Order: sequence, then structure tokens, then C-alpha cells
Amino acid sequence: MNELVEKDVILEVNNLRTSFYTDEGEVKAVNGISFSIKEGSTLGIVGESGSGKSITSLSILQLFAGTTGKIIDGEILFKGENLLEKTHKEMMKLRGNSISMIFQEPMTSLNPTMTCGEQIAETIRTHQKLSKTETKLKAIEMLRLVGIPEPEKRIKLFPYQLSGGMRQRVMIAIALSCNPDLLIADEPTTALDVTIQAQILELIKNLQKELGTSLIMITHDLGVIAEMCDFVAVMYCGKIIEYTDIRTLFNSPKHPYTVGLLNSVPSHEMDSDEDLKIISGTVPSPYDLPTGCLFSPRCPHAKAVCHESMPELRVHEDGGLVSCFIYEHDKWQEER
Amino acid sequence: MLVFIIRRILQTIPVLIGVTFVVFIMLHLMPGDPAVVIGGEAASPETLAQIREDLGLNDSVPVQYFRFLSGALRGDLGMSMRNRDRAVVDEIFDARFAITVQLAVVSTAFSVLLGLVIGIVSATRKYSIADTGLMLFALLGLSMPNFWLGILMMNFFAVTLRILPTSGWGTWQQMIMPVVMLGVTGTAVIARMTRASLLDVLNQDYIRTAYSKGLAERKVIFKHALRNALIPVITVVGLQFGGLLAGAILTETVFAINGLGRLIVQSIANRDFPMAQGAILVVATLFVLVNMIVDITYKIVNRRIDLN
Repeated sequence: MNELVEKDVILEVNNLRTSFYTDEGEVKAVNGISFSIKEGSTLGIVGESGSGKSITSLSILQLFAGTTGKIIDGEILFKGENLLEKTHKEMMKLRGNSISMIFQEPMTSLNPTMTCGEQIAETIRTHQKLSKTETKLKAIEMLRLVGIPEPEKRIKLFPYQLSGGMRQRVMIAIALSCNPDLLIADEPTTALDVTIQAQILELIKNLQKELGTSLIMITHDLGVIAEMCDFVAVMYCGKIIEYTDIRTLFNSPKHPYTVGLLNSVPSHEMDSDEDLKIISGTVPSPYDLPTGCLFSPRCPHAKAVCHESMPELRVHEDGGLVSCFIYEHDKWQEER
Repeated sequence: MLVFIIRRILQTIPVLIGVTFVVFIMLHLMPGDPAVVIGGEAASPETLAQIREDLGLNDSVPVQYFRFLSGALRGDLGMSMRNRDRAVVDEIFDARFAITVQLAVVSTAFSVLLGLVIGIVSATRKYSIADTGLMLFALLGLSMPNFWLGILMMNFFAVTLRILPTSGWGTWQQMIMPVVMLGVTGTAVIARMTRASLLDVLNQDYIRTAYSKGLAERKVIFKHALRNALIPVITVVGLQFGGLLAGAILTETVFAINGLGRLIVQSIANRDFPMAQGAILVVATLFVLVNMIVDITYKIVNRRIDLN
């Protein structure tokens, strides 16, 4: 575990709580999570839709304009400074400059009425004092960096004239144009074809190495996690239920939910007529969360204690963190 | 694109022919004998017969229609019946046309400016007191009959306060009330449209992207959101402008402005058939042409953002 909190930590999130307010009441989208990222490393956040992983990423940049989302507790320490205490202006200086973000939908994440070049140049102009020509050259340079052929011509194109993969490359160019210290990629490949997915992941990986950027990779795809990450946080209903390094996660997953997720991935050894293993039940409604462990209604091992109280995230003997009573031997044995 | 423009222009031809037909039939179904209008109540049957013969009223209806149509194509809409030395075309284009177009243009500018401001303020302060107040105001503007608004304004500003002239057209003081009366509906429509469209755009992914780049809210709204939100508004503005030309009838009547609208009303009241026919035809043609221009503009603007 010491590995996770060593120095050179670029981002540290402590007990973050983010809620949305709807007509039906408060939705605790992120419910007290903590994690940290070392400089240059990659943290994966994995979970089903609605687990709060995207909201976690939006919380870091406080991108809640036009929504009812609000961070109600916790701290987000970026290079030791709490982002939640920053003013609007200070946050604006950080966004796209020190911390930037790539979104899930390349089809809709670019402004349809602006050329790609202008959308890249805009970020450069906002954060750096460059002349017009320098800005343009930098935009072209960024397009070249993300592997777009003939960037001098492509900067004049509108998003609708580019394919999904190309648009995602433009998004990456925008995000990296000011050499951010931290890049947050929110399901960057989910909307793309499988072959393009591999290319984009490869691109992000290479650029990360080249520029020394730290990366948060948000995904529901364990394949992406295996490919990209050093550490993984598994989220369920707004909480982190397992947090460990990549090897431990795949070699010996601890939490029954993580085990279920890994089992539900189809493998080559399976017979074609064999059913995929699924996790029974569905993600509970955010308005009606179960008491006790949030996973208890779907957990094959659940005992009475699981329905009564919430297990804490504890250090496991192999160094990872897990929140499950199975690993709290005293409570688990008592039950029997 | 060129094909679209050509096809759109060609499409207006049958519409315009249809317009001439409807205008012609409408005037023919109107009660009243043009011969009596010209000759007067006391004219003898022989005189009336002579006048009918002169005007070609004894010809069959199709013959009369084609005479009207071919005249219209040559830019000849006949002579006024009230003032038989005055050509309809001269009366319309020398005296009336410019006033109505001015009124419509100024009213549209007023609607667009005020409508956009209200829409943007409302959308960016969704559900605030300002938003609720402005939308209530827009609803009022939309539901209030505008001739009544015109009369109320006239009573207040011209009669009670005596700060604006009651009628006429020319000075800027004379323009204020007619422009407000004619523009208020458009203002309300544009305000509501801008608000809805902007709220929709503000929820789009690319707005979040814009914020994630570190742009200030002002820049996100004016540079990223508004540009996209205005596309549906353009259509509304175009339709409003076309509608204003027709709406000018009421405004011109209330404020005694000698434009095309008032000409239509006066010539119908006077049973001046060629004049009414000509004026209606010009207004209808303008409406068709404005719509055509709006369609083409929209297509050109929209082409760039077509997502598929």
C-alpha cells in the first residue's frame, strides 16, 4: 500500500463527495472516495455506468456548468494545493492547461461550427502568449503529434468532415496542446470501432510516455485497464470498493464484484455455446440504495452482516485496498 | 448546393402563379360592381354598360384572368379606378412600397435585438427571477393582440404624456410606436426560441469541452453556444419578416401610415379592385421571395454544421 501514497503524488483525492439534486431528491453520485496518482503513472477507474466514475473526473475539474452537480465534501489536492479552495479564475487557468480532459463522444464533443484548427488554437491562445503565426504552427504541430496526416490542410476542416477516430485525435490534440501535468480520459475509446480503439489507446500511451503526463483512465472496459494502467480503482455506486495495482487486480481480485466483472469478460477458452457469466441483478437505483454493503443484494457470498453495515476500505495483506467483510476475518468468522 | 438553390427558385414560380389566381378570384367574389364605383350611383344603365365594356368586364372570367396575368408579367397592374390617371404600379412603388419595407426592416431589427438579449439573459439565468419575469413578458407580448397594444401606447404616450406623435411615418419619433407594435410578437417569439435553443445547446458535449479548455463563461456562451443556437433562430427571423409585411396592415391602419397595408385596406373599402389586387399581389410576392431567401440562407448556414 505504501506504493500508493509515496511522494511525487501529483493528485490526491480525499473523501470526495459529489451530489446531484433532482426533483426526486439528492443523488450521491460520488460518495466519499479517496485515491491518488503518482507523477507519470496511470490510474484506471473502472465501473459500470452509473458507478460515479465520470462524475469523479468532472469533479476534479469542477465541470458542472448547466447541471445541479455540487461537490459537498472532501479535498482534491493537485500538486499539494486544494482545488476546491480555488477561485473560478484560478480554476480556469488550470483547465486545459495543467489538467485537461478527453471525453467519451468524439462525435459531439467538438463544436460543429468551428474548424478543428481553431478549436486547438483557442486552447493555446487561452493559456499561452504566442503570436498568431506561432499559435497556428503549434496547432499544426499538435495535429501532427496525434498522427493526423497533412495537418496543414486538416486544420481548416470542420468536425463533420472527419471520422470518429480522427475527431478523437483532435480532442487529444486539444487536451495536450498546453502540456498538461494530468490528463483525464473519460472513456476515450468507448464510442469507437475496435481497430480505432487500439490505435487511440496506443497513441495516448505513447504521448503519455513522451510528455511525462500523468493519466486517469476512466472506462468500463477491463481490457483497456489491462492495457494502460498501473493502478486501478473499482467503483460501485459512488464508492471505491477495491483499489490495487494492476497485477494484483487481474491475478487475485478480492472483492466479489471485481471477481464478477473479471468473470463476465468472454475469454478464448470458452466454448461457443457456453453462456457468459454475468453478475445477477442490476445496479441499484441511486434514489434507493441498499443498506449495508452496496453490493450485498447481488453478492453471491452475502451474509447477514453484509446487509446490516457497510464494510470499510481496508488494507489487504497483499497491499491493495478492499471493502468487503470476507477479508475482515473476525467479523466474517463470527457470522458462521 | 447550386442544384438546391436553382430548384428552390424554380419552386417559387408555381407558387407565384397560384398567388395571382387566388388574388384574382378573391377580388372577383367580392360584392360590389366596379362600374357603379366608377360611374357613381346615379349613372344611367347605358353609361354603366359602356364602362363595363371599357374595363373588359363582359369577357369571360378566364379571359379576364389571363389579361391580368399577362399584364402583371409585363409589370402592368392596370389603372386605379378611383383616380383613373394613376397607374397601380406607380402608386405602389413610388409611394407605398418603401414605407412598408422600412417599417418591416426596422421592426425586424428591433425584434431581433431585443429578442436575442432577452433570450440570452433568460437562458443563462435559467429559473431565476429575471428568467421568469422575462418569459412572462414574452408570453404577454405573444398573447396580446398588437392592435390593442398600439392603441394603448397611443393613448398613453401621445394623448396622456404627449411625448410622441399619434400618427404618420418619417421622423424617428413617429417610428417608435409602430415599430414596437409590429415587432412585439416577433420579439417574444425570438426571445423564447433563443432561450430554448440556447438551453439545448448549453447541454451539449462540446460546451463541456469548451469549459474544460479553461474558457470563461462569457466566451463559452458567445463563441461556442450562441453560434450554434442561432441556427434555428434564423428561420424564425425570416418567417417573422415575411409575416411583418402582412402584419403591417393593422399597424399602418392604427397609426395612419401610408404604406402598402393601408393601401390594401383603403382600396378594398373604395372598391378600387385593380389597386387592391395589385397591392395584395406585391405583398404576397414579397412574402414568397423572403421565404425563398430564408430557405437558401438556412441551407448555406446549416450545411457547415450538418453532423452527418
